[in-house]
Amino acid sequence: MQKIVIGCAALAAGLLASAGAFAQQLAPSPTLDAVKARGAIECGVHLGLPGFSFANDKGEWTGLDVDYCRALAAAVLGDASKVKFTPTSVQQRWPVLQSGQVDLLARNTTITFSRNATLGVNFQGINFYEGQTFIVRTKTNAKSAKDLDGATVCVAAGSTEEKNAADWFAERNLKVTIVNFQKNDDAIAAYDSGRCDAYTAGIGALAGQRIKLKVPDEHVILSDLISNDPQGPVTRWGDERWQLIVRWVLNGMIAAENLGVTSKNVDEMKANSKSAEVRRLLGTEGGFGAMLGLSNDWMYNVIKQVGNYSESYERTVGMGSPLKLKRGANELWTKGGLLFTPPFQ
Amino acid sequence: MKHGAPVSGLGLLRQRLFATPLDVAITLACAGILWFTAVPLLKWMLFNATITGASRSDCAPGGACWVLIRARFDQYMYGFYPAGERWRVNAAGLLLALGIAIASWKAMPLRGPMLAAAIFGFPVLGVWLLYGGLGLPVVETRVWGGLMLTVFMSVYGGLLAVPLGILLALGRQSELPIIRTLSVIFIEFWRGVPIIAVIFLASLLIPLIMPSGIGVDRLARAVIGLGFVIAAYMAEAVRGGLQAIPQGQREAAAALGLGYWPTMRLIVLPQALRISLPAITNEFISLVKNTTLVLVVSIFDLLGIAQAAITDPNWAGLNKESYIFAGAIYWIVCFALSRWSRALERRQDDRALKPSAG
Repeated sequence: MQKIVIGCAALAAGLLASAGAFAQQLAPSPTLDAVKARGAIECGVHLGLPGFSFANDKGEWTGLDVDYCRALAAAVLGDASKVKFTPTSVQQRWPVLQSGQVDLLARNTTITFSRNATLGVNFQGINFYEGQTFIVRTKTNAKSAKDLDGATVCVAAGSTEEKNAADWFAERNLKVTIVNFQKNDDAIAAYDSGRCDAYTAGIGALAGQRIKLKVPDEHVILSDLISNDPQGPVTRWGDERWQLIVRWVLNGMIAAENLGVTSKNVDEMKANSKSAEVRRLLGTEGGFGAMLGLSNDWMYNVIKQVGNYSESYERTVGMGSPLKLKRGANELWTKGGLLFTPPFQ
Repeated sequence: MKHGAPVSGLGLLRQRLFATPLDVAITLACAGILWFTAVPLLKWMLFNATITGASRSDCAPGGACWVLIRARFDQYMYGFYPAGERWRVNAAGLLLALGIAIASWKAMPLRGPMLAAAIFGFPVLGVWLLYGGLGLPVVETRVWGGLMLTVFMSVYGGLLAVPLGILLALGRQSELPIIRTLSVIFIEFWRGVPIIAVIFLASLLIPLIMPSGIGVDRLARAVIGLGFVIAAYMAEAVRGGLQAIPQGQREAAAALGLGYWPTMRLIVLPQALRISLPAITNEFISLVKNTTLVLVVSIFDLLGIAQAAITDPNWAGLNKESYIFAGAIYWIVCFALSRWSRALERRQDDRALKPSAG
């Protein structure tokens, strides 16, 4: 008899508990719990890529991907400095994510079908539209890759870039001479010495290489991309709530740029903005943070401490950095770029 | 000119460099090669180099930009170790120097206890200083780096490899089949696997197999992996020494009533280790250089820090400066090691010669 009573009580308690959880609409998130217990996010970054992830003279990690990790820390823990970086090589990146040594990767990793389908990872949006393009001398007046008819292009033999470039020009019946070199470094050196009119690589890599040329200002990176290598933060399968957080912090940074919210005006916007979407983004309306199990000022913290997407981009790879990379495809969809976020509704 | 007679400076020059037409040709060719290689190199490294300034833009073209090394010198030495805690690295370095001094100073009073303290106490003290805990703030190994990390991995890899190597060498010659077989398997396994594969396995596979939550430190895994491989090599070096000791000595020791361990400790090992010292030093130097392989698992040793420096857009393109500086430090460390071991050998040779001379 006693056992039955206890059993019923336990059953009732269990039902109540699950009903409570259902009402809050919050799925359990072991990753978020672990982050909170640890007091820091474990972020896997590139071990050294100019503009995206590198240690500055003071030993602080800096860059576009690093900024994203800091933004996530600001959203989840309220403090952009509460993040620990695990530099990862190309070979290491999947095992460190799969084995749970990091909570996410933000390290210039191209989103592809086969990775998504087979590696047990999900890609949470796009923070950089990488793609192959060309660097040319400013004085050649080439504005687009289509203007390269009759040019010579230096590439590393057997690289993906060589094949992409050859195919792209052949499809458009452009007469372009491709000059092969053993290594990328040889190809770029040959371009710098005037052997070729152009050199080709991913746009992010080109930005890093342009500043190594003898006179960087005499060279310009074309903004049309001939390949499609979008990159963004990566999480493990499972723990949907954590995946939501990772995705919507990135979306929030893009939305903030689109809505004109910056680290400078965020306090004023929070107090005075009439726009419903701004108010929902900054947590004065709608209780969006709570739906993810975060505080409602999650995006306020991100924008106040790290900035919107544009501020982060310009500081790390854009005009405020040595790389001086134009926005190009990484401009907002409203301004002719590809960078997009669903609405905060 | 009579053979062997003393010659003046100019005469010596003529005799050595310009004696025959062939010598003249070789001398001129060498001088030409030097002129076209060493002169531009010196110009680039010294005469046209920029030493003062704050950024890459302060550097004159055509010369090395050593400003980079000045700006990031602390990183080359300490990695990302917090500035306020770097005294602990210096203290650990002093401890290492003290340990070497104790090991080298034969006439020191109370040498036995001091040596025991250095061998068993200092490594523990060193880890406590560097890592922290028990009163010191913890500094995670992820921020360790630069020369300090290279030295750490070499010293602790060596501390693991030398005793293990000696035990394995003895085990390989043991009369007990099970010990002999286990030693042979261990040695041949670790000798047969490339170090880079061991580091990959230690860094990537172990966390995938281990239940989550139980983690051995990334750096510790790399050091243990390195230590095991070098131990296998050391074992073979020591085996060479052991085999050089005539069997008669062991038989004589047995006849005097000495057991296995006293025979080894008093008679065989002192001679065997002296014989294998050059080979052991070789292995240790190769350990120092092999520590650079941890870069593949993103541990920023001296080479890693040199590479990290040039991924900073403010210093992009200064590859030569960064690599030359790191290379020079590696060379100094390895050269010092080989001189030290040479000195040790010479002293042991002297000692070995004494009885017959006296």
